[in-house]
Amino acid sequence: MNYVVLVKQVPDIKNVPREAWDWEKGTLKRSLLDNVCNELDKQAMAFALGMREEVDGKIVALTMGPPFATEVLRYALSLGADVGVLLTDRKLGGADTAATAYPLARAIAKIQQELFDGDSSFVVVSGMQSVDGDTAQVPAQIAEDLGISHAAYATSFHFENGSLQVRRITRRGSEVVAPLSYPCLVTAAEWTQPPFPSFGRTRWAQSQELHQWSAADIGADESRIGLAGSRTNVVRVFSPKEAGQKDCVFENDLEKLVKMLKETYESRLVTAEKEEEKIGYRLPPGRSPDYRGDVWVYAEQEGGELNPACFELLGKATELAAQLDEKVGAVLIGRGVGGLSSELVAYGADRVYVAEHDLLDDFLPTPYTLVLSGLVEEYRPQMLLFSATPLGRELAPRVAYRSNSGLTADCTGLDIVDFKRGDRELTAVLMQTRPALGGNVMASIVAQNSAVQMSTVRPGVMRALEPDHARKGELVEYVPKIDESDLGSTIVDSEIRPVAAEIKDAAIVVCGGGGCKTKEGFDRYIPSLAESLGGYLGQEAMVGASRVAVESGFLDRSRQIGQTGQTVRPRVYVAAGVSGAVQHLSGMQNSDIILAINKDPNARIFKVADYGIVGNLEEVVPALVRVLDSEGSDR
Amino acid sequence: MSELKKMDVLFVGAGPASLAGAIKLKQLLNEKGRDESVVVIEKADKIGQHSLSGAVFEAGVLDELIPDWKGRQDSFVTRMLANDVKRDETFFLLGQRLSFKLPEAVMPAYLRHKGDHVVSVNELAGWLAGIAEGLGVEVYTGFAAKDVVIEGDWVRGVTLGDKGLDKEGNRQPNHLPGETLEAKVTVFGEGSLGQLAERLVKEFDLGSGRNPQVYSVGAKEIIRLPQDNSFGLNRVVHTFGFPNRALTPDVFGGGSLYSVGENLVAVAIILALDWRYCDLSPQRELQVFKSHSLIKRLLEGGEVTAYGAKTIPEGGYHSVPELATNGAVIIGDAAGLTSVRKLKGLHYAIKSGIAAAEAIMRAIERQDFSGDALRTYGDLLENSFVMRDLRRARNHRQVFAKAGRAGLYVGAPLSLVQQWVPLKLGAKQDHLGMTRAKVKKRDTGGIDRLTAVGLSGTAHREDQPSHITFTDPGRCARCGHDYGCHPCTFFCPAEVYRSEGDNVILSPSNCVHCQTCRVKCPHQVIRWEIPEGGDGPRYKTM
Repeated sequence: MNYVVLVKQVPDIKNVPREAWDWEKGTLKRSLLDNVCNELDKQAMAFALGMREEVDGKIVALTMGPPFATEVLRYALSLGADVGVLLTDRKLGGADTAATAYPLARAIAKIQQELFDGDSSFVVVSGMQSVDGDTAQVPAQIAEDLGISHAAYATSFHFENGSLQVRRITRRGSEVVAPLSYPCLVTAAEWTQPPFPSFGRTRWAQSQELHQWSAADIGADESRIGLAGSRTNVVRVFSPKEAGQKDCVFENDLEKLVKMLKETYESRLVTAEKEEEKIGYRLPPGRSPDYRGDVWVYAEQEGGELNPACFELLGKATELAAQLDEKVGAVLIGRGVGGLSSELVAYGADRVYVAEHDLLDDFLPTPYTLVLSGLVEEYRPQMLLFSATPLGRELAPRVAYRSNSGLTADCTGLDIVDFKRGDRELTAVLMQTRPALGGNVMASIVAQNSAVQMSTVRPGVMRALEPDHARKGELVEYVPKIDESDLGSTIVDSEIRPVAAEIKDAAIVVCGGGGCKTKEGFDRYIPSLAESLGGYLGQEAMVGASRVAVESGFLDRSRQIGQTGQTVRPRVYVAAGVSGAVQHLSGMQNSDIILAINKDPNARIFKVADYGIVGNLEEVVPALVRVLDSEGSDR
Repeated sequence: MSELKKMDVLFVGAGPASLAGAIKLKQLLNEKGRDESVVVIEKADKIGQHSLSGAVFEAGVLDELIPDWKGRQDSFVTRMLANDVKRDETFFLLGQRLSFKLPEAVMPAYLRHKGDHVVSVNELAGWLAGIAEGLGVEVYTGFAAKDVVIEGDWVRGVTLGDKGLDKEGNRQPNHLPGETLEAKVTVFGEGSLGQLAERLVKEFDLGSGRNPQVYSVGAKEIIRLPQDNSFGLNRVVHTFGFPNRALTPDVFGGGSLYSVGENLVAVAIILALDWRYCDLSPQRELQVFKSHSLIKRLLEGGEVTAYGAKTIPEGGYHSVPELATNGAVIIGDAAGLTSVRKLKGLHYAIKSGIAAAEAIMRAIERQDFSGDALRTYGDLLENSFVMRDLRRARNHRQVFAKAGRAGLYVGAPLSLVQQWVPLKLGAKQDHLGMTRAKVKKRDTGGIDRLTAVGLSGTAHREDQPSHITFTDPGRCARCGHDYGCHPCTFFCPAEVYRSEGDNVILSPSNCVHCQTCRVKCPHQVIRWEIPEGGDGPRYKTM
């Protein structure tokens, strides 16, 4: 067995100086940032090294980038790769994910021919996503291009009689998948502590010749690479903090404060919607829209159970379709899932497309891609929205790639706009807004040269409509044309268990700092506040700690928030007894609503907070918990 | 693979001294058509990130190393040439408001800077590393040498630190044991307070008959000024006096402001570490310094963009150890080669690297790497401007120390005559100066210490064993009682130490590797070890 590891040189986004952004063009002056190996790609290297220990073979590290990206290849060699391949060509610059996946897939084909002597038994390993693009689309699209199976969110692997089995995270737990043929692609989620390069290996790596291939060397079709081959276009980059500095509202009347907090919490969703309604797109007279057709939602289901995130998509789709004067479609794929269609209609779908097949019982990317692409081909919607769940982020890139459509990952805003750039005028197109570079900036993106405008949408951001069970909708049945040979991989085992939530995904975070004074103090105040606040707002709240608190042993390091810990962006962030050192702020300042409790009215944390309570934790927290509990039970 | 851990000459620490030495040596080897390997290792993640200097650079020393350097059209040389000193001022600051400009005529020659160049040592190191690699020197970053390999009475190389130990020192799955690098000659250019050089001096008794080394600490900020600032370009300002008390200026040191580029000023204070105050914080002193009306006016509207701190060996001539032993030499700050009167070390560092390289080349040609052969390096240095200058200033810092509370007023005049004192004035270790005295409470302002730490870019993998430990934690509680505070929570420029009642809590990941703590801890119970390679500050413009 041989191995290809995809590595990427990325800017060090923990430290982006302001002057590094070209705000006009929406691009990044990378020369002003340090270059580092993408963190998850180190996991990919660790996977490949582990695999090679079990089944011996050659490891080829592959990257695409400017000439100085040789650095990341030498790094990969120093970790244990045998050969480095750099794909570099001016023509490849400015590429989006599709125009990146295509040449990488061609390079992998060339690696198979020239470095593996045509042998097809190899595994492509990559990190789940890069910290700069943060789309997770390229690996899935490479797999689609090569027509191979893809095991995403891999957390471990083993070989069973020489064939690979991969454990991966799913929304409901985990499963073990095995590719039915080789090559196959595995994307690594966090797995182990990344390996360190040794001195000897580093010295060896410096002496190695690297393969350097151009677009012509891999026989790339020039219309599919670079800016020209891209199907999305960044039209605007702005700072999430553009709205200006926050003015902290200090309120020591806790009942009043709690009500204000809740109002803001609820209105953040509603106002977002309302503002859009206010702007409410109208087609300018005499213009015709660039895209026509229904607004579709992929109704994600697993085990016959709809992911509630798809109701949020339907809410958004209803609004977009109304502005465009089109219908809302929902797509259901699976086995025996037709019964779920009425629910989708109640939440806003006008038509539900149902594709059922025995082979579609479990989600497997290859057959699902075939079926959904077939539907898109046949009914030609103008837009297709997915939830940015693990499943959605695996399926959407493949469908988009297959149907020549632009895809934007993890959107937090969707609007219909008319748009002019240079001599090109776009009418009634979807402007997709998403955080980029670890939340440091927001980017607005439109599709170009696309059949359908596709997005994955961050769950919890859009608002679902109140379900109307009297609503009537049309049911469209679609017969999938698939057979066993389309499966790509098989699920060997699956485990359904509540997934240990990760603090970076939490909707509410309560963070305790040095102000807790002792571990007992921390344990007494912070979890109870989290529980009461979570109960009050109807969302699960998680507990975090500042570095000072972790160093004092109040909580383990996995829950540390800040520059050297986790970066969180919850909807509500409570900083209790946290002074607000810059190192802490960089890990939480992009949170939606920030409530700070500190005995020092001049604490820096109040500079980024929306609401502030000045006082000792010993007094404030128990009182706050009482108010939250009683207000909560009043409803 | 073991061949990869052998080399002919190994330089430890990629500062200006090592890089200059590696360049010179490779030039000499290339001239003779020899291909001995020259390797430089550095504990910082990238070249230059752990270097910090003022820096007013006497660039003339480059003529000897890279004769055509002025003709190079690279961005570093262009910037350095554009940053030549045209306006050179010295002020005496009396209290927070008054300042007196000293006429140039009264300044001793060694305190004049016209024609020197203001540089960032981070960029200087990056530039030198590029030249070195171009000649065939191998430069590897992220590798921290932890110990000297000594066999009998020979230095055989260094051992690197382990990577991948957890907080308790257990091996993680990714544990990488520290490799042993073998070299015919190992050159120790670790900078101020280099621990391997210290071990060498101890093991081979290279410091006998010398004064103990004494240090200063410098705290530095880079400040971005508005477009229409009054500071201007090509200007250096030096000050003495404030934040010292007006009547008893008893902390030896001074302040400086250098224009380092378009709208950028480097501001620093340097304080001799023998201060007596148990609650003196260099980072705070820098803020107080900036609150002086003259400095405030010069920095009007400025924003701090970077911060760092480092120690400077100040013992001078009488503290420089013997520089060579079997298989090893010591260069640059690690050898204490800093001009005590000018507080400049870059040109000494580079010159010492060059001299070491010439000596090593002779040793290679004769295949004799003994201390006797390598001592040519000391002879070369002795006959160069480095030792000439140092000899002339041999009692400089000592007279300030002897002046005690009278400080500057007695020390400054004495410093002018010290070179005629025929005696070797002794020096005592800095930590012995600590007393219960407290600095008078001053106006606070500027940036706080944690924000400053953030601006140093420092980072450490936090799951490794703490690289700072107390050899006798019981002493800390007593220390707190003795002084009425924990001095380490003040003297650390990076807030590694925090008081929690009687105890001191450590935040090792704030550390900027200056090692002030090792010098200044009154009980000498702080152990500072080198953390995992790649960790530490990330200076870019210092």
